[in-house]
Amino acid sequence: MKSKNNGKDFCIFALPGLFCFIAVVIIPFVYGVYLTMTDWNGVSAVKNFVGLKNFAGVVKDAQFWTSLLLTFKYVIFVVVIVNVMAFGIAYLLTRGMKGQNFFRAGFFTPNLIGGIVLGYIWQFVFSRVFVSIGETTGWKAFEVSWLSDPSKAFAALVLVSVWQLSGYMILIYVAGFMGLSEDVMEAASIDGASGWRKMRSIVMPLMMSSVTICLFLTLSRAFMVYDVNLSLTAGAPYGTTEMAAMHVYEKAFTSRQFGVGQAEALILFIIVACISGIQVYLTKKKEVEA
Amino acid sequence: MRKKVLQGVSFALSMVLIPTMLTGCRFGFASDPDDPNEEVKEEPIDTSLDTFEYDSSLSGTNITLLNSKAEIQVALGKMGEEFEKKSGVHVEVMPVTDDSPYTKVVSLYNSGNPPTMSILDTTDVIALAEEKGADLSDEDWVEEAEDYVTEVNGKIYSLPLCIEGRGVIYNRAVIEEALGETFDPESITTLEEFAELLDRLSAAGVKKPVSMAKEDWSLGAHHLQFVYETYDGTSEGAQEVIEQLKAGTMDLASYSRMQEFLDMFDVLREYNVAKGDPLGADYDEMAIDLVDGKTAFWFNGNWAWPNLSEAGAGNEDEYGFLPYFMNNDADDFANQKIQGSPSKQVMLDGQMATEKEQAAAKEFLNWIVYSETGQQMMVKTCNLIPPFQNNPYEPGDPLSRDIYEKVHAGQAFNASAIVPNDHWSVLGAAMQKYLAGRSDREELIGAIQEYWEEQE
Repeated sequence: MKSKNNGKDFCIFALPGLFCFIAVVIIPFVYGVYLTMTDWNGVSAVKNFVGLKNFAGVVKDAQFWTSLLLTFKYVIFVVVIVNVMAFGIAYLLTRGMKGQNFFRAGFFTPNLIGGIVLGYIWQFVFSRVFVSIGETTGWKAFEVSWLSDPSKAFAALVLVSVWQLSGYMILIYVAGFMGLSEDVMEAASIDGASGWRKMRSIVMPLMMSSVTICLFLTLSRAFMVYDVNLSLTAGAPYGTTEMAAMHVYEKAFTSRQFGVGQAEALILFIIVACISGIQVYLTKKKEVEA
Repeated sequence: MRKKVLQGVSFALSMVLIPTMLTGCRFGFASDPDDPNEEVKEEPIDTSLDTFEYDSSLSGTNITLLNSKAEIQVALGKMGEEFEKKSGVHVEVMPVTDDSPYTKVVSLYNSGNPPTMSILDTTDVIALAEEKGADLSDEDWVEEAEDYVTEVNGKIYSLPLCIEGRGVIYNRAVIEEALGETFDPESITTLEEFAELLDRLSAAGVKKPVSMAKEDWSLGAHHLQFVYETYDGTSEGAQEVIEQLKAGTMDLASYSRMQEFLDMFDVLREYNVAKGDPLGADYDEMAIDLVDGKTAFWFNGNWAWPNLSEAGAGNEDEYGFLPYFMNNDADDFANQKIQGSPSKQVMLDGQMATEKEQAAAKEFLNWIVYSETGQQMMVKTCNLIPPFQNNPYEPGDPLSRDIYEKVHAGQAFNASAIVPNDHWSVLGAAMQKYLAGRSDREELIGAIQEYWEEQE
């Protein structure tokens, strides 16, 4: 009886979802993989099979590897700074300080502004506001626009991304901190744990599920950064801040090498999937039940 | 406790969201050159006279026009309405919003819903014409456009919409005020004389008289393409240079135009108002500087007029173009003429559009070229310089007027280099590096040569 019903239940509940998933995720993905092996230019009616030629093109595309390396650097900075900051702020905002609700909302706000808009706002801040502050005060750091120097433009990108992402992570960490059982904390205190000891041995292990989510979100978002990159620097100055996702887009649509662009996108996908998979596996192992 | 938090958060969220929602959709800088919300002052159109013959069997047809020239979006809509009143054909004007025109049109084709007509750049037309375009070689307007039509393997697939020209824009009032004498733009015929003028202006108080944009499209396309286009001042000549570069038979470093181009570029760079931080220069500020007299020159094209107009310049003010001086030979055409070529093309879909739709679209194109109303609206409403010699109307703004006059007086050369689509972006970056003084001639020329050798 039970097994009879299963087929029907599956059809009613899972099939529509499965259909949508296959239609919008699996098929385009497989088709995308197929396109990496053709010379399709996006327009023509015929697609010629060219084997792994596009992947050879990726290997030859030095700029892609440069942007990939830059993306790694960016990911490390963003993931570390965002999580350390969000964890710290969330800790402070769950200790019952005055106006903490206001601060929680305040920190979350930047996350509500779309990346493109945010990039333009900060572009204005970096190239106009900071420069005029530099002019009036004579501060060397602000004398010229940050966006016209490769390393400062990179710093600007990291800064804006941290500003945007932290709020979201704070929210998740706050939820984690609020879910900590008072009993456990109290028991820890009675046992004589306090300060750093309590944080390391009690709070951290219980917070690992939040850490897993936050690390995963920041990792994948940082790897795939495009909107802020486009509107804040657009790769400027002279292509030195072009991240991998942006390079893929440029390769496909500006250089019109769809095959190579698609192959690069696939490589980027595999890298991101592997790294976030490993991260989730490792942090999951550290999660404990209270 | 939890409920209170949620209330607090949701209240704060709504406070934040309201202004974002109100302002979000109208975001854009005040003088964004591509801002479709920008208001254009327009002259009244006289529609009383109309000798154009409409085909009544086409009435009721719906056609679409994909517009990649954001500043004429509103004007094109008005043209479409006017055309519908007379012919009964409904023209829907669709803007290209955030994609490149090519990406947009390709995605529309791939979704099986292409526009009947699309306004594209010349390179895009060449890429798409044979696959998608309708053959327009037999249309009447081909004769009127003379040298301005683009041929793809001997056939014409597109209508040249407008002529655009570029050079060194001057503000006559600023120069005359600073030097205390009348300024005759034609008296400057060589690079040396131009540099001397800049020197005098500098001494007279306009310390850094030149603005130059840091944008890669300006550096990589508008500046650098002079190297190809001044080969002999024709599109064929430009093509020849490109073929030689691709084949690796030309040594760019010893090609005279390359060095001459950099000589001019160095002069502009030396007197750049943003010399301290050339890559931090702000495009909107350049228009304001030129109008306010902080600078006297701005390297740009006639499309910059909306920015100048927004910054306070009026149609009665005297702005015009100087050539991109290449050397000290006063007889060199590059020092006498400015560059002016058709830039946007209308391609007609020959793949999915029905015959009736194609006929209606052809009627619309003819109406632009031949009807009294269409001619006026091209010039006055859209503010374009039409490449059709039968159009008697003169453009209103000083920059377009200057190009118009120069084209008619033979003081413009019609050459536009057809370069790969990523030329402006890849070599724009190389030019930015040179502009900022972080690379030398050798490195820049090496990058250009390398770029071309990689092309198939």
